[in-house]
Amino acid sequence: MLNFQTIMLFVGFLMIIAGCYCMIRTYHMLKIIIGIEVAMKAVTMFLILAGYMNGHMGLAQAYVITAIVIEVIVAVVFAGVTIGLYKKYGNMDIRNLTELKG
Amino acid sequence: MNYLNYAGEAFLLIPLSAIFLNNICNKRFIEKHFHILTGAVALLQMIAAVFAFYIMDANQMLNFDFSVFGSSKITGIELFDINPVSLVFLFCIGMVAFVSVMISIRTIDVKKGSYVNLLMTLLIGMNGMVMVSDLFSLYVFLDVIGISSFVMIAMFRSRKGLEGSIKYLIISEIASIFILMGLSFISMKTGSLSFKDIGRNLLTNTFELQTILIYAAIILMIAGFSIKAGIVPFHSWLPDAHQSADTSISVLLSGIVIKIAGIYGIYVLTNIFGGIKAYQVSLAGLGIISVVVGALLAACQSHFKRIVAYSSVSQMGYILLGLSTGSTLGIVGAVAHVFSHAAFKSTLFTNAAAIHEQTGTLEIDEMGGLQSRMPVTAFSSTIAFLSTAGIPPFAGFWSKLLIVMALWGSGNQILAGFALCASILTSAYFLRLQKKVFFGKTPEHLSSVTEVTGSIKFAEILLTAVTCIVGVLFPLIIIFLHSRGLI
Repeated sequence: MLNFQTIMLFVGFLMIIAGCYCMIRTYHMLKIIIGIEVAMKAVTMFLILAGYMNGHMGLAQAYVITAIVIEVIVAVVFAGVTIGLYKKYGNMDIRNLTELKG
Repeated sequence: MNYLNYAGEAFLLIPLSAIFLNNICNKRFIEKHFHILTGAVALLQMIAAVFAFYIMDANQMLNFDFSVFGSSKITGIELFDINPVSLVFLFCIGMVAFVSVMISIRTIDVKKGSYVNLLMTLLIGMNGMVMVSDLFSLYVFLDVIGISSFVMIAMFRSRKGLEGSIKYLIISEIASIFILMGLSFISMKTGSLSFKDIGRNLLTNTFELQTILIYAAIILMIAGFSIKAGIVPFHSWLPDAHQSADTSISVLLSGIVIKIAGIYGIYVLTNIFGGIKAYQVSLAGLGIISVVVGALLAACQSHFKRIVAYSSVSQMGYILLGLSTGSTLGIVGAVAHVFSHAAFKSTLFTNAAAIHEQTGTLEIDEMGGLQSRMPVTAFSSTIAFLSTAGIPPFAGFWSKLLIVMALWGSGNQILAGFALCASILTSAYFLRLQKKVFFGKTPEHLSSVTEVTGSIKFAEILLTAVTCIVGVLFPLIIIFLHSRGLI
């Protein structure tokens, strides 16, 4: 049971758990985007693993490149929103965001 | 099938060329005439949807494959595909985009060029999502929708807008991670992600790694699309994001984006995995929790747009209940409810825009007695509320009736009873809204309020007419579609 695929799957799950823990534990906005990026990297690794397991590596490459492009755009939009909030509040603590309750 | 090819390409190329036109032209000229450009795109989209439906009906076709920019088919990546269901979604997209443009003429004063760019990007994302036929392209267009929505909410850089945007962004990215993980798990077994290569035959009874991962993929993808649709355990971002955006943007988000990004994804999953009992039970469970909790939360809010946003959560639950049956009747009911929800939810957000323009507030405790001062707004909001609560003969009644009938027919009598009783909750929170806003005594500071004029009034009248006419003619429409062999 302990072959290459299973080990990589466990590593990926560990990375996702690490990313989610980073998102839950921290209150700093930039650290939250780092957590999201770590989890996304794990998903990218799953896509490569899928290409390895089904034998279509070319298709997996196309998927991975597209996924990376989307990830970068999300990071840029997140950074833009964060800069907007930093200008309004003066720091990056997410506990300050109390305008919306519900 | 040359014309049909043009119609299919039009859904993607018209918004794309509008972006080019918007950025090439003189800025002051385009800011003065932005509503003509965007309104024309929305109208052309509705015309193209009706035209494509007419041609497909005349040729007895049930789906049509086409390519954009001469792209060819390779393993795992399919061509675009239009079918009657996606044409209904495309028509709804055009309708809500048109209403958004009508509202934006009055509410958006700055950054009109950015509004046009983002609206067109959102249209490309939504049109692409309902036309693709493989899961990875679905994910790509899903993120196009997501990214343009985040920027649209934060566009005016108010505190509320930025907060709603960051909340939506974090939760929606978690949904993207779930969906991408699910489709990589499916790809591990099949090697292809096109809809026709994956299906129930993947779930063999053998105990091997790939089969277990496919069950995990189904769970992850239901969770991901439920987050995007705002179904109840995952709904916390929805009222904040929809309340904090400008009203012309909230009408897009609540009227169509949650339905395309969330419900259409679940509809695709239903086509693929619809026969599995566990899948149906989980959708039905999510749906009934969403219906009841959404309605209860809506009843204790005090902001007009928050009430309407929570009402969206509740109505998405009805659509999930329809999809959970997996039968043709349930899916027809769900698609019909998508249409009627697009009509009445757009009406309610247009009312919100009208009230905000005329009174300057949306807190319902500060309002009262607006019925005699704003008769058109009061009338259209009453029609929309009756349609939401499922009172005959409006459009919402028929779609809810189909969903409840499908639930009863599939042996879920208890769920059907719950869905019927939840209509009473719907009437309860909307009666509270109506009483506080339109009836009772007028406070001192609202005594000089007059009826809204211009494009918002036009949109209110148009949407009320759509709700009434579709409601009255609904049996005829169903009989017509049945005679054409589409249902």
